[in-house]
Amino acid sequence: MSNTTLTKERVGRQITSSIAMTVILVTFSMLFASLLLGFTVFRLTSDVWPPMGFERVDLFLPTISTIVIAISSFTFWKYEKLFLVENAEKKLWLSFTMVLGFSFMVAQAMLWSDLHSKGIYVQDGIFPSIIFSFTWTHAAHVVVAWFLLFYLVPTLKEGVSVEKLENRVFNIGKFWHFLGVVWLIMYITIFLF
Amino acid sequence: MAFYEQHIHDAPTTFLSKYIFSYDHKVIGKQFLWYGILFLGIGGMMALMIRWTLAFPGQPFPVIGNFLFPSTGGVVPPDTYAMLFTMHGTIMIFYAITPILIGAFGNYLIPLMIGARDMAFPLLNMLSFHIAVASGVLLLAGLFTPLGAAAGGWTSYPTLSTLIGSPGVGQTLWTLAIFVLGISSTMGAINYITTIITLRAPGMGYFDMPLSVWGLGLTAILNAIFLPVLGAGCLLLVFDRVFGTAFFLAGAAATSGTGDPILFQHVFWIFGHPEVYILILPAWGIVSDLLSFFARKPAFGAKATALSMTTITILSTIVYGHHMYTTQMSPLLTQSFMTLTMTISIPSAIFFANWLGTIWKGSIRFHSPMLFSLGVVFVFGLGGLTGLYLATVTTDLYLHDTYFVVGHFHYTMAASVLLGGFAATYFWMPKMFGTMMNEFWAKVHFWITMLGLNGIFMGMMVVGYAGMHRRLYNPFVYEFMERMIPINTFITWSAIIMGLSQIIFVINFVHAVFFKKEKASANPWEVGTLEWTIPSPSPHYNFKEIPVVKCGPHEYGNPNLTGERDFQYQTEELV
Repeated sequence: MSNTTLTKERVGRQITSSIAMTVILVTFSMLFASLLLGFTVFRLTSDVWPPMGFERVDLFLPTISTIVIAISSFTFWKYEKLFLVENAEKKLWLSFTMVLGFSFMVAQAMLWSDLHSKGIYVQDGIFPSIIFSFTWTHAAHVVVAWFLLFYLVPTLKEGVSVEKLENRVFNIGKFWHFLGVVWLIMYITIFLF
Repeated sequence: MAFYEQHIHDAPTTFLSKYIFSYDHKVIGKQFLWYGILFLGIGGMMALMIRWTLAFPGQPFPVIGNFLFPSTGGVVPPDTYAMLFTMHGTIMIFYAITPILIGAFGNYLIPLMIGARDMAFPLLNMLSFHIAVASGVLLLAGLFTPLGAAAGGWTSYPTLSTLIGSPGVGQTLWTLAIFVLGISSTMGAINYITTIITLRAPGMGYFDMPLSVWGLGLTAILNAIFLPVLGAGCLLLVFDRVFGTAFFLAGAAATSGTGDPILFQHVFWIFGHPEVYILILPAWGIVSDLLSFFARKPAFGAKATALSMTTITILSTIVYGHHMYTTQMSPLLTQSFMTLTMTISIPSAIFFANWLGTIWKGSIRFHSPMLFSLGVVFVFGLGGLTGLYLATVTTDLYLHDTYFVVGHFHYTMAASVLLGGFAATYFWMPKMFGTMMNEFWAKVHFWITMLGLNGIFMGMMVVGYAGMHRRLYNPFVYEFMERMIPINTFITWSAIIMGLSQIIFVINFVHAVFFKKEKASANPWEVGTLEWTIPSPSPHYNFKEIPVVKCGPHEYGNPNLTGERDFQYQTEELV
């Protein structure tokens, strides 16, 4: 089990990689925080919300998305655990994550087409602007993260070196969970309230 | 102690892997240097066209005017004038100063000064440069679109920057270019922060790092936190322009529902105020080091300098409102922002006093890097002090958007940073390219530049105080400004002379890089930081053996030193 021994070198690389990933997540947080700052300004300065006779977005699809992305975070966590103990079931859990990630995107696309079918388009004012732009921005990140999941395929082989690939798994995992948290915040702020 | 071992890689052999797609932080630093100098030339040319228009309204721009503006017989047309000052600001800030100070010297110095073989993530570093190139192409592409490049000012406030104010593709390209450049700079910042934390040589604590590394590290932190804020603003602006959203549209401009143009100003300045410190912090760090190196004295209060730079970094994040006093902000807010802004004077005064303390009674060697550093002390002093008038609400309401502002921010961001960049270039030239630049012509370059830029920016403050508004194509159509043509002519002549003197630098630089036979010694300036313990130019692996640090970076004139040297290397035990 030379794979699991923690040498000084290995811990050093883990810390280095996690420092860099922390900085990356700080930058992404600031991006989404700025978007939410914009939302807060519009929300607080508007007498009624949603403004101009818009109705609230039907919560059905966003709720489905929330549940799907929450489960996908769980499946990724499960995959990560199994990867570290070199269990063959890791394949199953990563595939779950990929399927759930794809389902999230499908739910988002359905949300957009649902809004369109109700005649709500992005250029119709500030409320649809916020709903569409924020979900687009988040979805663009999810698409990138979803393709990054395929970068983890080499970790699925039997007997791969955990030490070589662990930081890749940790970092993509952190990004995946991060997007889940961002979606949850967006669900609460722009859909629920 | 470094967190992990960096192995020595084989030297690259092909042209592509050596000069274009290099992972080596030193080569990437040089790439950024050339990139920055190229854009400095373009931005400088634009500045001269702006100045020409203000001094000689209605007269054709000499030599290239007829070629550039054939429809008006060589006179800069009004819409082109707006485009010129927009692109001048953008290019100088994001494409000249940032690449030179942060891209070039950040990349070059951080690993060498902390005793590492390379950055923590060389691939990311390489991508950072190539993305910056893509961004530069996007920006310049705007110049060739039918309605020309962006013309809403470097701040790109809506509604000037929305489709109503700038219908052309140029503004969209501008916004995209800034977004892409933000990605590049963020990648750099990730690398710098991680490298400084994890790859310091054994024995090197944070306070044993040269102050240049402090400045660059703090800059990287600000970059990582605040560039995404501008990114978000740019993203929403692009959405407004391309997809028809209504974030920044209001009043008659918004056909459906109402957005908030002021929101962009908030987002822009939440980023924009830290940005001015992003630009100046590396220069502060470099100057703090160079003053000590050439005064042959330990940096006075080096710890306090580092900590006051850190304090300024933190304070810079909560003062942005002073750019927006005239946006009908509540007096409670304006006064809070004024107080916070004034608070920055305290740490600034501390490190400024430390600079003076460093050169006080030093055995100053007036080599060109020292001259440029002293120049920074002078112009930054002036720039900092004039900032107080703009931070104060009562005076700012009068001075807002006048040439006083232009003079102030050029003193701090342009003059100080430019002189700091020149100081760094002259100083690290032997380590970067293995040759020294001609000292005589460096001094000539310094004096003309110094006199020229003071003529320009002092003149700008005078006309600004007299009420001349910035960004006007021909201010002299207003009666009260009619008599300001002579002083504007003086400013323009100063600019032309200063611009021409840069040719001296370029020739000196190109000669030293490509044609000079005489090689520099390993340590021509007699300085003790880690990069001077290795040969010039530095080998691709930097350090054969990772050095062990035993003392601080500014050990000069220690009375216990015996022998020839008046300094000691950081690898030597303190005597």
